[in-house]
Amino acid sequence: MAATADETEETTDAPGPAPRRRRPGRIATAVSVFGELLITAGVLLGLFVAYSLWWTNVIADRKADQKADKVREHWARQKDAGPGALDTGDGIGFLHVPAMRNGEVLVEKGTGTDVLNDGVAGYYTKPVKATLPTSGKDGNFTLAAHRDGHGAKFHNIDKLEKGDPIVFETRDEWYVYKVYSILPETSKYNVEVLSPVPAGSGRKRPGHYITLTTCTPVYTSRHRYVVWGELVRTEKVDGERTPPAELR
Amino acid sequence: MYGWIWRHLPGNAWVKALISLVLILAVVYVLFQYVFPWAEPLLPFNDVTVDNQ
Repeated sequence: MAATADETEETTDAPGPAPRRRRPGRIATAVSVFGELLITAGVLLGLFVAYSLWWTNVIADRKADQKADKVREHWARQKDAGPGALDTGDGIGFLHVPAMRNGEVLVEKGTGTDVLNDGVAGYYTKPVKATLPTSGKDGNFTLAAHRDGHGAKFHNIDKLEKGDPIVFETRDEWYVYKVYSILPETSKYNVEVLSPVPAGSGRKRPGHYITLTTCTPVYTSRHRYVVWGELVRTEKVDGERTPPAELR
Repeated sequence: MYGWIWRHLPGNAWVKALISLVLILAVVYVLFQYVFPWAEPLLPFNDVTVDNQ
């Protein structure tokens, strides 16, 4: 006890060492600033991961829910007015993929980031224009959505297997597709997969096809994952909007 | 760096801690609201479409 008291007295009394301990040398300062910068960089990267994989989903899901409500309201209001012009402003319908277990995905026009970042799936307008199922023509209904972040609507695309249903819901019709081919990895330049008769899917004749594209592997954009389906049947939407058997 | 900020904040330790917390929240807000949305398209993580660009 006494010894420690003496020691503290000594250090406080001594004019030399005390200020030196409080003011570290120039090299020590530089090292500590460098260390703090490294810690800051690490925290920044961590925050960016949190932003990409969590926050963008929060924002996008909120936005998508609002838009979906608007489309549903719009449909409800139009019902009495009879069949009208197709409204592409807010979204043309909903995609239901039971295998992805993410409920309904609003489908909008375009595949730009401004569209897809709202947590929706977009149909292609370029480089190959999608053929909408509502047009009734042969062609390919090509869609894209995010794999991670911004709603991550196609995150579980790898859970889809051959024979799984993909249902597209519009105001008046359920379009039931069945997956017939999957391309787990392709180049992002492979625009042939969007052709009216999709190249590489195994089909040679014109028909009603649907194509889902997103990036793969997860958390990267190195390649593209493609799933093809073809129309099996359509069902008229009834008064209660009873979903087709595939969704029950 | 952080030590310097801490020394230049007014008040006692509690007030300093509170101000620090507010500063951190402000920085996180600016990052999430402005910096990250700006930086994201510059990074190759979220291209989902096939195209010929």
